[in-house]
Amino acid sequence: MMSAWVIMRRELASFFVSPLAYVVLTSWLMWNGVVFWVLTEFYARNAVASGAATPLSAFFGGSSLFFIPLLVFVPVLTMRLLAAEKQSGTIETLMTAPVSEASVVLGKYGASIVMWCVLWAPTLIYAWIMSQHGSVDWGATVASYFGILSLGAYFMAVGLLMSALAPNQIIAAVLSFVALGVLFTFGIGEFVFDGAMRELCAYLSMWSHMQSFSKGVVDTRYLVFDASVTILAVGLSIGALKARRHA
Amino acid sequence: MIEVESLSRRYGNRWAVRDVSFRVATGEIVGFLGPNGAGKTTTLRMLTGYLAPSSGAIRIDGIEALQHPIHARQRLGYMPEGVPLYREMRVYEYLRHRAALKGVAEVSDAVDRSLERAGVTDARRRIIGQLSKGYRQRVGLAEALIADPPILILDEPTSGLDPNQVRQFRELVRSFRHDKTVLLSTHILSEVEAVCDRVIIIHAGLKVADPSTERER
Repeated sequence: MMSAWVIMRRELASFFVSPLAYVVLTSWLMWNGVVFWVLTEFYARNAVASGAATPLSAFFGGSSLFFIPLLVFVPVLTMRLLAAEKQSGTIETLMTAPVSEASVVLGKYGASIVMWCVLWAPTLIYAWIMSQHGSVDWGATVASYFGILSLGAYFMAVGLLMSALAPNQIIAAVLSFVALGVLFTFGIGEFVFDGAMRELCAYLSMWSHMQSFSKGVVDTRYLVFDASVTILAVGLSIGALKARRHA
Repeated sequence: MIEVESLSRRYGNRWAVRDVSFRVATGEIVGFLGPNGAGKTTTLRMLTGYLAPSSGAIRIDGIEALQHPIHARQRLGYMPEGVPLYREMRVYEYLRHRAALKGVAEVSDAVDRSLERAGVTDARRRIIGQLSKGYRQRVGLAEALIADPPILILDEPTSGLDPNQVRQFRELVRSFRHDKTVLLSTHILSEVEAVCDRVIIIHAGLKVADPSTERER
């Protein structure tokens, strides 16, 4: 597993020397800055209508404004992982080094989780800002970040799988966008269907997932779902790399 | 030592390599000669474990490469055709990374040694993407040498170099004689004459000549 660590370090180093990293981080913070500002204004002006919701709980998945940027930013972060190696041909030196497919995939996946954390770390400042002007439910905030980490584990794994399957970065990004978009839309099915289908959609819903965590409710059903998708997608990525040798 | 037994590789229903067998003895420099599209790259990719053969067996210093791929790859230094490198890295960063990946114990020493041996010490702090083709080729060779492997596999190592660089590169390869086992592919006969002890000729996926085995007969 030493080699997974080496691969992860290189992936992060190459990401953080690329202009892509700074374009992504800057636009991410601009987007979320505007979202946070609009939500705060909304709750300041509609104190009665807001009920139990707070700007922070709304920010962490209480609105679709949370998911729309993610559908774009996650594919952009994950498209490089394996597809860039294929595009530049470095996959050949990588896969002929004495390392297993599992270490390569785990190294890349580890790097993507670090990127996810780097994406979210600056948003802690919103919690701090709120604490300066009112009271913050820190329990709910910790649960929100825990939910984000769990959600990120599965988003990044889906992106990794698409990067393992696609021949180049553009296709990897499009496939991840479609996969996450479909999963997102499934969640809306909760308000459309009834009976068993409604239950299924509610279970798959990333929306309900984050609404639950942002209220401070750590629902293990969502954790099980996230972990299952993560393990499945990482496992399939390892399989996809192995299959390449036979292609 | 490299031993290959009736190696075949199919892409769909086209045979890229068909029933090829050969041996490269320890300390030998062998040229793998053939026109473009003959199956040279496919064969070398199977030797290095990048591609799985459709059938056949490969032994690297006696290790069954298909059963113990990681073990076999530890004994190989490989320079793929076109020398793919991480363009955003500096030369020494790249070599440090590869040394760590290959489990080299003394990384800094290994980097210095391979830079020296491949003649790129003066470019160690430069960004790979900004290097000339000749330098990138040498960085690729330094990478292949980083773990001091007993076997080197070089795919078209002189393609795209100017005549002066070709001459320097051949001298470099010749300096490995007796020290390393080298298998290099090329489509240029004079290259084989200039650096190799022996030649294996491949055409349309079939081995057509291997003077050493013919002598044995």
